Amino acid sequence: MRLLEVEDLHVEFAARGLDNRVRVARALNGVSFTVDAGEVVGLVGETGAGKSLTALAAMGLLRAPARIPQGSIRFEGQDILAMSDRELEKIRGRRMAMVVQSPLTSLDPLKRIGDQLVRMQRVHGTARGAEARARAEAMLAAVRIPDPARRMQAWPHELSGGMAQRVLIAMALVNEPALVIADEPTTGLDVTVQAQVLDTLRDLVRARNLGALVITHDLGVVAHYCQRVAVMFAGRIVEDGPVAEVFARPAHPYTQALIASTPGRIAQLGYTVTGGTPPDLYDLPSGCLYRDRCPRATTACLAPPPRIALDATHGAACHYAWEAA
Amino acid sequence: MSITRFLLRRLLVAVPVLLGILFLTFMLVRIGDQDPVAMLAGPMADAPMLARIRAELMLDQPLLTQFWGYLTRLVQGDLGMSWQGNAAVTKEIATHLPATLELVTLAVGIGALVGVPLGLHAAERPNGWFDQLSRFGSLFGFSLPTYWLGLMAIFVFFFLLGWAPAPMGRVSMMVTPPPVVTGSVLIDSILAGNGEAAWSAASQLVLPVGCFAIVATAPIIKHTRAIAIEVMGSDYIRYARACGFPRRVIRRIALRAALVPVITFVGSEFTSLLAAASLIEFVFAWGGLGHWGLNAILLGDFAAVQGYVLTLAIASVIIFALVDLIVLLLEPRARA
Repeated sequence: MRLLEVEDLHVEFAARGLDNRVRVARALNGVSFTVDAGEVVGLVGETGAGKSLTALAAMGLLRAPARIPQGSIRFEGQDILAMSDRELEKIRGRRMAMVVQSPLTSLDPLKRIGDQLVRMQRVHGTARGAEARARAEAMLAAVRIPDPARRMQAWPHELSGGMAQRVLIAMALVNEPALVIADEPTTGLDVTVQAQVLDTLRDLVRARNLGALVITHDLGVVAHYCQRVAVMFAGRIVEDGPVAEVFARPAHPYTQALIASTPGRIAQLGYTVTGGTPPDLYDLPSGCLYRDRCPRATTACLAPPPRIALDATHGAACHYAWEAA
Repeated sequence: MSITRFLLRRLLVAVPVLLGILFLTFMLVRIGDQDPVAMLAGPMADAPMLARIRAELMLDQPLLTQFWGYLTRLVQGDLGMSWQGNAAVTKEIATHLPATLELVTLAVGIGALVGVPLGLHAAERPNGWFDQLSRFGSLFGFSLPTYWLGLMAIFVFFFLLGWAPAPMGRVSMMVTPPPVVTGSVLIDSILAGNGEAAWSAASQLVLPVGCFAIVATAPIIKHTRAIAIEVMGSDYIRYARACGFPRRVIRRIALRAALVPVITFVGSEFTSLLAAASLIEFVFAWGGLGHWGLNAILLGDFAAVQGYVLTLAIASVIIFALVDLIVLLLEPRARA
């Protein structure tokens, strides 16, 4: 079942510069992807590629000065962009929940963990009172927090980063949503804790047949936990497909560079890694945005590349996708 | 940590602070070029008489000896004699302090009741029209010198319009003041069932409290706004939005989070206005501690100045301890 369907999403920011001229940063430039029930999709890319922005847009959380001039977001068949704040509040945290980064500062510092889990249920009308407390405790146990009855009484500042992240997962799942969006859920955690937290998340998502969108810059996370992956660059999805496919036959030079820059892979694969920075979002070049960094670029790349389907599920936005694959 | 242990610790920490403040004040008044002896003795006094008075006041002894003498008497509850009123400093403080407390408490109370909601409202839409207006207003309140505000208020409301009573103290001279119970003339008159005195005391309060409240409100608006904006931009408010909490729930979380820093600020505002009260008291002939302390400074009344500064310092210590106690109750992180 299709949960989330993002199509040709554009997001821009209008900012007034010091010279008082309004400049527009084009942060997303046509993002399309889908998440189905029971599927974990990875959204991967470098900082500033627009991963988190895509997640915020999907949750209906974008506020001025962000604008959506073009594109559509559908969740469970409903048009997110056409919804009022009131309607969005009923979906967020209920049907579609988010696990954010920086868990320690995201929990309400003045409320005990148990009370926050109960509030999450009460606000959305899923449970209240003793029932909500029981479910909160069961949820803490499900995210493998030891001694959940005692942890219900803990304050957020008494938790470690890994514990707090587990609490956020519990918060996200306590209302039994259909879709979980995890925005770099393990940034700032120790590597061993990262794996534990992600294992927990994956097991719960699997057991409940949820859809999940995992945002990360870590290809290792994608390889381990996702079935499909979408690679983002400069506000565009440059390649998407099943994880095994994309890793085995990356078709876009940016994907190849990403894979090649994984430590220990460079010599093995023989791809060329190019340096450089993402293009200036205030002054996007026409044509392929990766052109300046691409070892393969030709005059054909002055025209915007279409998504070239390599097979039914794997595609890349590159004029030379066929050659590379 | 238990509350008694907390208070005991605060008390212990306060002792060196108060000693330091006392030492500085003691030395500062004596380093100045004021000679209280000449002032006390009058213009007719000759050299032997000046020397005698100097010896009587022990001003001829080394500074540290004088300070030690002052401390030993202080421990016994004796703050020395005020030369201007020829009365014990402790007694003078006891008579003057309630007037100042009444003025400052009302002003800060009004400041908090008006300033906190305005600041919160301004923070709802940063740079919106209300925010701009309140920022202009609080800048206005910041920039006005208290005494000028007081003088203008007297000029307009007493002299021109005749709405306010003469700015001469806390109760009209035509009225028999009530017996002193709490020290606040208004409360004492109500306790004594003296309606006429209560009315007079209340009308005397309006102008000085009004002027002082303007001074108190401005920074409270400004800080509440800054605190609220910071809270609204915090991770946990953004997370609350991502959780789909409706506006009223988010507002409650934000209010609760802003409460502690706002209370802390209002507490520190109280202590600084306690000291700043002297000018407005002077303008309205209020006869409070600030008025008395200012006179003491002008006249070189050493013991009185020391007593004045010590009282302010003790008041600050008490208020900050109270604020910390409230914070301790409201903020789980502070209990850790």
